[in-house]
Amino acid sequence: MSRVGYIDPNVIMETRNLKVYFVKGGFLAKKQVTKAVDDVDVKIKKGEVLALVGESGSGKTTLGRTMIGLQRITSGQVIYNRDGSPIIIDAKSKVPKHIRRELQMIYQDPYSSIDPYMKVYDALSMPLKYAGFSKKEMQSKIEDSLTMVGLPLDILPNYVFQLSGGQRQRLNIARAISLDPKFLVADEVVTMLDASLKGEIVELFKDINRKTGISMLFITHELPIAKLVAERMLVMYRGKIVEAGSINAVLKDPLHPYTKALIQAYPKISPETKDVIKRIDVKEAEAAQIESKGCPFYHRCPYASERCLHEMPKLKKVASDHEVACYLY
Amino acid sequence: MSPILSIENLSIHFYTPKGVRKAVDRVSLELNKKEVVGVAGESGSGKSTLALGIMRLIAPPGEIVDGKIFYHGDDILRYSESEFNSKIRWKKIAMIFQGSLNGFTPVFKIGEQIEEVLEVHEYKGDFKERVKELLKMVELDPSVADRYPHELSGGMKQRAFIAMALALNPEILICDEPTTALDVITQAKIINLLKTLKKDLGLSIIFITHDMALLSEISDKLYIMYAGGIMESGNSLDIYKNPKHPYTQLLMEAIADINKDYIKGIPGFMPDLANLPSGCRFSDRCPYAMDICRRKEPELKKIEGDRNVACWLY
Repeated sequence: MSRVGYIDPNVIMETRNLKVYFVKGGFLAKKQVTKAVDDVDVKIKKGEVLALVGESGSGKTTLGRTMIGLQRITSGQVIYNRDGSPIIIDAKSKVPKHIRRELQMIYQDPYSSIDPYMKVYDALSMPLKYAGFSKKEMQSKIEDSLTMVGLPLDILPNYVFQLSGGQRQRLNIARAISLDPKFLVADEVVTMLDASLKGEIVELFKDINRKTGISMLFITHELPIAKLVAERMLVMYRGKIVEAGSINAVLKDPLHPYTKALIQAYPKISPETKDVIKRIDVKEAEAAQIESKGCPFYHRCPYASERCLHEMPKLKKVASDHEVACYLY
Repeated sequence: MSPILSIENLSIHFYTPKGVRKAVDRVSLELNKKEVVGVAGESGSGKSTLALGIMRLIAPPGEIVDGKIFYHGDDILRYSESEFNSKIRWKKIAMIFQGSLNGFTPVFKIGEQIEEVLEVHEYKGDFKERVKELLKMVELDPSVADRYPHELSGGMKQRAFIAMALALNPEILICDEPTTALDVITQAKIINLLKTLKKDLGLSIIFITHDMALLSEISDKLYIMYAGGIMESGNSLDIYKNPKHPYTQLLMEAIADINKDYIKGIPGFMPDLANLPSGCRFSDRCPYAMDICRRKEPELKKIEGDRNVACWLY
């Protein structure tokens, strides 16, 4: 274990200098490297819900997938602190099979993540069967997880296509928690749902976290949802964590120019502003990603300096519960 | 001032094997000059069908079965298809879609695609000049005309599509979830652009979205749609401050907003559009439902000023 050094016993999931690059082309075509996750250090505490916020293409999903071993690492480490015997995943190692079920993920689209022609019972029993549970254990696990997500037991013989969007998302959640995971990645789980359903599903996640203590990485691009579900949040931009801290600190006093713009631009209930042009300082994103060693926000940032172009600022602690990666601080 | 667009009792039905789905059920709506009318509703409420209906783009098994759409007092539903196409569509009423980002063909340059619209609709004038003018209007560099769609970001593509919609100087722009696929910062910039266009060109806009917070930042007037029908309409500021219909009230509670510490769900499901409840379409989810609500459908009626509510409570 000397290889990884000290591991905080209160942390369940940690990444160290994690890099996940996607390489396109090569040989004859021009080689293009997309840095989906670039030098990311994250710690998720036991029993915590951590929100990961960022726009599409920022690398949120890739980071989540890498944490549970679904994505090959380019360099760096993912450390899953499993009851005192940490599992270390790096570019050369994979998550051992018997451990995979402790790390689960729930996806955005409740319509495409379960086969609609499966019966509810089959959709729930299949993962349990592969995990090696007996028929009897399976039955009680299925019943427990359905009750937990608030679905009636009599839907078991129904087909998945007979369920509504909200029910399908509940079924997805039941399927993930039936395996008693220790760590859960919830990837934009309320994005596809109507306003009338969002509240219920957010409450359900909080409820599961309270009752079972499952630690979660809650990925969302909706700031109000992050605020409701988590206590801490990370802001990701083009593969880098640019700001981290308690939800209140980040939302009330955003520091990074990107976070500032994000909060400024976020729609708020304000019918009195209908004729006001919102002031937004940052430039619009260009289609092509410009390769640089420095800050990925350089080309849009109103405060960018020469230094920002050449060198990426490190995450720096500015308050006990607030970190930012920007030379302004 | 008479409205430039006035919809009266428009009904659009879809004839499916499961029965007749009333996607738009006796909807009336008025749009004045330089006004943004917001149409809000959850998915499946019929708001996009309403937009397509105004453009007369309903394809079988759907059909406009009843109602009138007056454009400056003329019923445009009575026009023949070719007459509508040559006089109204894109010339007077244009539309942008949520999927506009994929609305360009990848093999032609942006400028060529806008020119094609000018050509098809027999624009008199210099095409190249007009394209430049349009791109400037939507705050894009004129050089964008020589770029291919894949060379543009999502926000730039949506701007280019707005330029294409404005090509023939329409009076009315229908925006169906125009920013849903964009990130938040780009979304705010597109909303800013629409506000500027409204002011500078005197454009009237029908803005359709499920995002109530976003809608509050742009709409002058509001129509709340549920399961094909209008539940409440009126001045936007008034409705946000004091929603009357129980559905509108619950919808407001369900909005996720950074300044709020809670959101509430609305229990129950939207009814099957082929099998609407006999009384009020919201009655089986409504916390205030009375006996009459399940028997008789409430009419949309004026309760004060320009506020209309379809509810037996009023």
